[in-house]
Amino acid sequence: MFRKLVFPLFALALIVAGCSPSAISTPTPVPTLNPTITLTDGLNRTVTLSGPAKRIVSLAPSNTEILYAIGAGAQLVGRDETSDYPTQAASLPTVGGYSGFNTEAIVALHPDLVLAAGINTPELVAALEKLGLTVFYLSNPTTLEEMYTNLETVAKLTGHATEAAALVDSLKKRVAAVDARILPLNSRPMVYYEIDATDPTKPYTYGPGSFGDLLLQRAGGANVGSSLSGQFAQMSLEQLVVANPAIIILGDSNYGTTADSLKKRTGWEELDAVKNSQVFPFDDNLVSRPGPRLVDGLEALAKLLHPDLFK
Amino acid sequence: MSRRTLPYLWTLLFLALAVILSIAIGSVFIPPADLWRILTGSFSGAALPEPLKTFAFIITSIRLPRTVLVLLTGAALSGSGAAYQGLFRNPLADPYLIGVASGAGLGAVLAMSIQWPYSFWGLMAVPLASFVGALLTVFLVYALARVGKAVPKTNLILAGVAFSSFAGALTSFLMLRSTGELRRAISWLLGGASQAGWGPVLTILPYVVIGLGILLLSGHTLNLLQFGDDQAQQLGLPVSRRRALILMAASLATAAAVSFSGIIGFVGLIVPHVMRLWFGADYRRLVPLSIIAGAGALLVADVIARSVLSPQEIPLGIVTALVGAPFFLWVLRRAKNQGFW
Repeated sequence: MFRKLVFPLFALALIVAGCSPSAISTPTPVPTLNPTITLTDGLNRTVTLSGPAKRIVSLAPSNTEILYAIGAGAQLVGRDETSDYPTQAASLPTVGGYSGFNTEAIVALHPDLVLAAGINTPELVAALEKLGLTVFYLSNPTTLEEMYTNLETVAKLTGHATEAAALVDSLKKRVAAVDARILPLNSRPMVYYEIDATDPTKPYTYGPGSFGDLLLQRAGGANVGSSLSGQFAQMSLEQLVVANPAIIILGDSNYGTTADSLKKRTGWEELDAVKNSQVFPFDDNLVSRPGPRLVDGLEALAKLLHPDLFK
Repeated sequence: MSRRTLPYLWTLLFLALAVILSIAIGSVFIPPADLWRILTGSFSGAALPEPLKTFAFIITSIRLPRTVLVLLTGAALSGSGAAYQGLFRNPLADPYLIGVASGAGLGAVLAMSIQWPYSFWGLMAVPLASFVGALLTVFLVYALARVGKAVPKTNLILAGVAFSSFAGALTSFLMLRSTGELRRAISWLLGGASQAGWGPVLTILPYVVIGLGILLLSGHTLNLLQFGDDQAQQLGLPVSRRRALILMAASLATAAAVSFSGIIGFVGLIVPHVMRLWFGADYRRLVPLSIIAGAGALLVADVIARSVLSPQEIPLGIVTALVGAPFFLWVLRRAKNQGFW
């Protein structure tokens, strides 16, 4: 039995060696031994890794999306429960989420890096740090440029600098392509983006400082919420009727709001967007999660607002 | 076993059981045999095999400090609740009656509205602000309720309720106007341990010990106060001075308890009632029994809070009311001595 196997294996080895002689003469460059990585995080903490992180727990859906986008998905060993994209993330064990994180579950995964985000509390970071874990707090970006920087930061932590550079490059090109078509425009349709209208007389919309607002404007729209205060601004129906948006985008369509349900709200039938059936469902995750999919969001919004320009 | 020691035995047994449950149960399953080896190993100092090291770390660094923090919180809330009920001779009294919770909440939310640097004091800002807010509120309410030299009970309750509404409204307003994370404020207001390690335990320990120590010595005073203020005064009790002392002691313990754990309702209300229904209204016994049983009850609630939706956690305040209310109603229905007030 043993002899039967040895000969074919030996022959195979010879063939492989014969086919690629270069693999023997010039070995792949030896990676430098444990290059230490030292970075300052969003809480002004100095974080040091002895090498690229190999077992990562992500505490926010945006972090999970960043990790997969730069090719570090295989290094993830745990996630928060709202991390649902890409779909393979769903198979990772969860360590908590909306109502609280379980430090015990995080410790049990033996992570060499816990990637926290702006939605996580400093108390959680302190608790994990006290337990001897390496935590990096990735601040929420406020511009696309800062989002690119975040991608590069995570790439440094995980050893995917080349992939991240290529990704940032392609994202920038896609944004430039949108800009090229939008910037020459003179007229920008008035648009209302709905986050939540549990109380239809006082719905919530994206105000200044949010990515929702930033992307709507960049996609060639005049955001009704721009004049309000706060990232998540509540606006009265009266104001909305006066603004009379030409287009309504339903960021709450994932929660069952439809163009039809909008028509049934008292007072809303007067809006031009409702009369002209310019009400569109939208995946809010594309504008609310500060990761690379913001660019998907920008393209999708531009297409909705200017369908004739993006055919 | 005499009738005097039996209630202590039962409550201590309950507390011991709750402590064991709290250490044994968590989102990571640790087999009982391993648990035993870790616990005996940590006492004897024997080296543990490699696979048990994570479990040992989880138990000593996560579950044990949390267990002690919850134990202290439950003891403080329940002991203070018993004292408040005796002090005001009011079955609806709980440790939050004269504004400790709303003052603490206002302080905490105010501190959360500021972006503190990530440092020791930055992380202490919220517990410190809630502690100060709670004590300031009690002093303010006490001063507002004063009529001449006396501080009538009714005035205290009314001033407390009025100030609580005021502070509560201000808290809600601040939360609605905040641009930051509402989740942090809401989860604090609903109660639950947010910081890990022994730091919080050591910080609140002196206040809880002093506060509860005074309450434990006040059993006789509370008994006398049950005759009414005039009678107690005629029996030689310096009523207003003693009342102020008990009030401050209970508030100190409660303020310390909520500063790290958030506002956990219901424990301070029902545990003293259950103790009273089961073991009688003698405050020399009622206060210590409430302290022991309150610690155990909150531990059980905490075990439920972190295991039902594991690895998520439910805010502790939700569990205490959700599980505590039906349990209390059951005890109330079964109670033989209905006229216990």
